[in-house]
Amino acid sequence: MTQPTLDDLLETYATADAAQKKPALAALIKRLKSAVQAGDYVSATAALRKAISPGLDYTSAQSLHRVYKSLKDQPKLGGPLRLAVLGSFTTGQLISMIELSLFSAGIVAEVYEADYGVFRQEILDPTSTLYEFRPQVMFLATSWRDLGGAPELHSDPAAAQQLVEAEVDRWLNLWNAAYQRLGCQIVQNNFDAPAWRQLGNYELRHPTSLRRYSAAVNQAFQDRAPPFVTIHDLDELSAQIGRARWGDERFFHHAKIPCDPECLVEYGQSVASLIVALQGLSKKCLALDLDNTLWGGVIGDDGLGGIRLGQGNPEGESFLAFQRYVKSLKDRGVILAVCSKNEEPVAKEVFEKHREMALRLEDVSCFVANWEPKADNLRRIAMALNIGRDSIVFVDDNPVERALVRQLAPDVMVPELPEDPAGYIAAIENLRAFQVVSLSSEDLKRTEFYQANAQRQMQEETATNIDDFLKSLAMVARVAPIDATTLERSAQLINKSNQFNLTTRRRSTAEVQAIVDDPQWVTRTVSLVDKFGDNGLISVLLARADQETLAIDTWLMSCRVLKRGVESLLRNKLVEIARERGLRQIVGEYIPTAKNVIVKDHYQNLGLTKFSEDDGRTRWRLEVATAEPWPVFIQEEAP
Amino acid sequence: MDEIRSESQQVFRDVFGDDEIVLRDDMTADDVDGWDSTAHINLIVALEKHFKVKFAMAEISRMKDEDQNVGGLLRLIAKKLGKAG
Repeated sequence: MTQPTLDDLLETYATADAAQKKPALAALIKRLKSAVQAGDYVSATAALRKAISPGLDYTSAQSLHRVYKSLKDQPKLGGPLRLAVLGSFTTGQLISMIELSLFSAGIVAEVYEADYGVFRQEILDPTSTLYEFRPQVMFLATSWRDLGGAPELHSDPAAAQQLVEAEVDRWLNLWNAAYQRLGCQIVQNNFDAPAWRQLGNYELRHPTSLRRYSAAVNQAFQDRAPPFVTIHDLDELSAQIGRARWGDERFFHHAKIPCDPECLVEYGQSVASLIVALQGLSKKCLALDLDNTLWGGVIGDDGLGGIRLGQGNPEGESFLAFQRYVKSLKDRGVILAVCSKNEEPVAKEVFEKHREMALRLEDVSCFVANWEPKADNLRRIAMALNIGRDSIVFVDDNPVERALVRQLAPDVMVPELPEDPAGYIAAIENLRAFQVVSLSSEDLKRTEFYQANAQRQMQEETATNIDDFLKSLAMVARVAPIDATTLERSAQLINKSNQFNLTTRRRSTAEVQAIVDDPQWVTRTVSLVDKFGDNGLISVLLARADQETLAIDTWLMSCRVLKRGVESLLRNKLVEIARERGLRQIVGEYIPTAKNVIVKDHYQNLGLTKFSEDDGRTRWRLEVATAEPWPVFIQEEAP
Repeated sequence: MDEIRSESQQVFRDVFGDDEIVLRDDMTADDVDGWDSTAHINLIVALEKHFKVKFAMAEISRMKDEDQNVGGLLRLIAKKLGKAG
């Protein structure tokens, strides 16, 4: 009898029903351990990442965490991240859960855990271990017990409002102190609530009740938190899980664990999803099957009148509800793709003609319906949209297709779906894969960008020479230093761009702000409009003037404006800036990664000369005195 | 009681990640590698889930005391399940 492979065991575990989950996990863990022992870290890592999925119970998660611990010190199993966790309660178990979730997203965290209850001292004392550790992300794990200044029940309502302001001011001071010294991104819990209410149902009606107070503080957190603070909505998490369950206080009294330990799994997933998003690793695209995923039945067999969708039948209504949910994701910037085994015209007809469809063709950025294997089609979708396969979540009701894609396109995230379409929304929500930490106008217009891009590609095919094509686009650019209005989008690009990114240096919003404030640094962003639409802010450049040199630290661009001349435009800008500042040369650097080979020759193409090469890392120079302007076909908007 | 013992043994093995663990009545927290305060929580959660019982806070705290042993824990579970210890 042949031994089942890690992949087999993983699939058995992923698809097991509740009763079979435990033995399936035991078999998987045994196999993971022997893979680690045999030194097969790569397979063990891949399998462990996939085993970490929503719905994991606490005991299983702890077992998986033991495997993680045996693996994590192996080099190059994920992107490193220095994470400090400062808590007002016992954070050990929660940290395990955070580590596990981060690992499933490809991050290996080095964690500094502060002693329990001393977070204020750690932050306010510049000689504390926290400052030696220099975290990139700091998580402030607090709970409702940290609300310092709640009003007395009988106090004056106006005074209660002042207490809210004072409470928020105290937290703001703490955040600012940490940010000024560390420049790190801060993840801060808002306040959950105890499972009891002093006034019962009347609680929220009374202006000085505890819930009124915590709700007001939570609201003020959202309103007043600076860009370098991400508020983790602990209150919502506890409500979703259920306050009664969340508030099992046995373990708090026994060991200062903030909630029922079983809830720590989701707690960790929720916190980790924000850190993943801050690192720019949120998923970008939802790829959807059609038959029995977006509607009930098979369009090729049942026809337009036969599929079940829309009002009048419970199944049809639940498919419609799912479509509306998917559309809401699209409306806030998730790219939609179709990946279906169907005749394309037949599949498209549903989008065009079925009256109950909530999704329309214009909502879908890439539509692939054919009889090829779905793993291949997902590869095609990734290429057409210019995104990584690891940015795609694939949703299909068919377990065979899911298993095939998991095996043949392992980078794609493939959640298990319940048989009942009424459970589809929860299956995607539970992934927390499309987490948002900021929302820019670009996010809201993303589908238009991708569609306009497709149109441009058509025009490119008809234009006979590239200069004519570029002229025909009637491009207008706005080139400007980073300011308050472009800070968030710039930081977002710095943390997200993988392909057109010369150095892939990630920086938090806080760090970017520090650069903007430093006169030695030069920052530029480019926004581009053309006759097909507004591309938004698509390029960021950071350079530092040092003696005679303008050294380019960061140069990145969205791939949707490749080969349009934005690079040349910025090159000319750099020469101008260097001249104005009396600098002699411009120096650029290329640091290779798995994803940025596209810009390997970037500086060569812009006429710079290579002067050093080390392990694929190249450095380039341009003498300012002799640099001629490069031709560009982009008009510049007056500043 | 034998059933409770063998099922508990499996829970111990899962929680401590050690398939060699054999439960004896006179075992204490000191006898099991890694039975620290964190592992203790993990053990309680796993036992509660497996046997569908709930320990009182005082029971959770007492289990690791010096005069307590695995025999006592198994009897406690048996009592909660309504079986003679």
